[in-house]
Amino acid sequence: MSQWTERRPSEDFYRVLSPDGSIEGEPPDISAEEMVDLYRSIVRTRIFEDKALSLQRRGELSIAARSRGEEAVAIGSAAALEPDDWCFPSYRQTGALAHWEAPMDRAVAGLMGTEPETIDEHLPVEDPPEVNFTPTYVPLAVNVTNAVGSAMADRFNDRDTVTLSYIGDGSTSQGDFHEALNFAGVYDAPAVTVIQNNQWAISVPAHQQTASETYAQKGEAHGVPHERVDGNDVFAVYEKTREATERARAGEGPGLIECVTYRMVEHNTADEPSVYRNEEEQEYWAERDPLDRLETYLREEGHLNEETIEGIEEEASEDVNGAVRRAREVPTSDPERMFDHHLHTQSWTERHQRGELRAELEGRNPFTDFDGTGLAEKDSSRTDGIDGGEGR
Amino acid sequence: MSRTDAAGSPESTSEMNIVTAVKETLGQEMRRDERVRLLGYDVGPIGGVYRATEGLHEEFGPERVIDTPLSENGILGTAVGMAMRGERVVVEIQFMGFFYPAFGQFMYTLTKMYERSGGQLEVPLTIRLPYSGGIKASEYHSESTETYLAHTPGVRVVCPSTPYETKGVLAASIRDPDPVIVMEPKSQYRSAREPVPEEEYTLSIDDARIVREGSDLTLLTWGAMVPHAGTAAERVDADVEIVDLRTLSPLDIETILESVRKTGRCVILHEARRTLGLGAELSALLNEYALDRLHAPVKRATGYDVHMPGHTIEEQYLPDAERAQYAIEAVMNYEF
Ligand SMILES: Cc1ncc(C[n+]2csc(CCOP(=O)(O)OP(=O)(O)O)c2C)c(N)n1
Ligand SMILES: [Mg+2]
Repeated sequence: MSQWTERRPSEDFYRVLSPDGSIEGEPPDISAEEMVDLYRSIVRTRIFEDKALSLQRRGELSIAARSRGEEAVAIGSAAALEPDDWCFPSYRQTGALAHWEAPMDRAVAGLMGTEPETIDEHLPVEDPPEVNFTPTYVPLAVNVTNAVGSAMADRFNDRDTVTLSYIGDGSTSQGDFHEALNFAGVYDAPAVTVIQNNQWAISVPAHQQTASETYAQKGEAHGVPHERVDGNDVFAVYEKTREATERARAGEGPGLIECVTYRMVEHNTADEPSVYRNEEEQEYWAERDPLDRLETYLREEGHLNEETIEGIEEEASEDVNGAVRRAREVPTSDPERMFDHHLHTQSWTERHQRGELRAELEGRNPFTDFDGTGLAEKDSSRTDGIDGGEGR
Repeated sequence: MSRTDAAGSPESTSEMNIVTAVKETLGQEMRRDERVRLLGYDVGPIGGVYRATEGLHEEFGPERVIDTPLSENGILGTAVGMAMRGERVVVEIQFMGFFYPAFGQFMYTLTKMYERSGGQLEVPLTIRLPYSGGIKASEYHSESTETYLAHTPGVRVVCPSTPYETKGVLAASIRDPDPVIVMEPKSQYRSAREPVPEEEYTLSIDDARIVREGSDLTLLTWGAMVPHAGTAAERVDADVEIVDLRTLSPLDIETILESVRKTGRCVILHEARRTLGLGAELSALLNEYALDRLHAPVKRATGYDVHMPGHTIEEQYLPDAERAQYAIEAVMNYEF
């Protein structure tokens, strides 16, 4: 098995907190409490994702993708958002959702493959996060174009909300990424795009993905101001995202931030990284872990101690376990949920096929209709949300 | 209708599944013709996420097995350009649900160049497109949207259903001067195993394949549904003829009509959604050219007209032997 030769990314980037926990630059202007919140979010994300991994191993989830070692990217950047802002994540930003306290039980149920309608029915949202999150995007890069459109809508309506989206190093090769930046530049959209450069796109290394010296410089051609930061330094990520969101909020247009980090674990549970990369690389990055350096700093500053750390970990484990317990209590989706929410009104075909599925589930032959009468009653109540929907 | 064009003798076979059949064929074709190059992401050192190109990067190097940046449109666009210059390019797209970013190149160049240049420029390109559900994967990893492809002129769409079929059909596709999309039923990737000749051989990509002869009803199907068709045929109280279409575009209409004229009844079994699924075209063809032989309306046992649901209920979405059996029984019991 041939492997790629390793090439470490340059450390020519903005950094506040050194890998050893000492301060190199100016810490961000946030309270000790907010700093501890960043720490807590990393811990919660790690515990949540490790739980997801173990559930996957036991067959309760079909697939799980972790962000171990990269949490500071999603958390530091999401922390720079304000209530009512919008966030368009991919599958690699559990931390952004954790930081804004998106309900974990719903996330677990989603990972278990439960249909969204079933989740809404059994785990209704009581306390929605103050930031608006779209569903997690699986197809790569298309979230960034959508995010720029969201930002354009804010700009055209003179609203001062901003939109944050994320993209992996590999996904910057997609046309959508460049189209998004171009539109953002042309329309001065209040859109901040974070490149989570974790050095790998499944088996393809980041230096193989592009001939650009950095990912940040891809903003240059599109007229989008850009920064390159140490993605394992949550302060640096926060600080530069904050600058970008403040500029965007003030009507000064988009921003692009490359966060240099490392995927410490498998791409997802279907992947086996030892096949294409060697362990020394992981050792190098293990010394640059985002949680360790933040912990060292906060302990030295007296904001954390053994006891508070244990408290944070215990609370996170309890919350995650509680979420898993509640998600397990959600019944398997009624298969008919597959028809829900395609259109606001019910078509002949939908009614007909719902009838076929019902018949099949009840052990009756679904193919006995030879005149188009169908096997199910028409549901004409479904006109909500339609202008002039009455009578349709 | 030719079952095989060439085959090795029994002693030169080896047990293969569909993935190993793909790998063997790609290696053979690359050794046979140095213009054959593979393009795709992750196809290099790790040999693709399915390991269908395993060992090829090592054997042929990075200019024959080209691990590309992560862009389906970039891959297809550059592959078409290479093919226009005489290379024989084989593209791997990781999942059918991730082909869509390449749709512009598919419509504007891949399927159009030969016609637009008045036959001057050929695009001898093969796209390997793993499709099908039933693997409990997440969103966009399970779809069967061949209709978008087969609706477009200027491209062949084929779908081998067994390891033996895979080797012969893939080799024929790579050697063919037209663009060919080879849909690979990934739910069968490792489950279907059979002895496959080690020698190179090709199978016709113009002809359907009669899997099982019968006199009461024709079951038209392809790809991942072929094993379900076999099970259904065993279970019903009727003599079912199974036709594995093998080529979805262009269709082998002669074989299809001949079979249905003989049996007088037809059920179509496909994994794709029903509306404008290939079953619609097949049913229309029978209506136009075989109506007077039909003893019953044609029924379509298919997926539903929905986005592929989450994996906990995908089983209820996917057609299977049971759904096929219901359709066969309904048609067999029908009287005009
Ligand atoms: C359009 C599209 N093509 C392919 C895939 C399959 N896929 C999922 S993740 C991935 C690699 C992404 O790498 P990167 O952008 O670096 O993000 P990371 O996973 O490292 O966070 C691929 C190829 C997809 N989801 N969408
Ligand atoms: Mg990556």
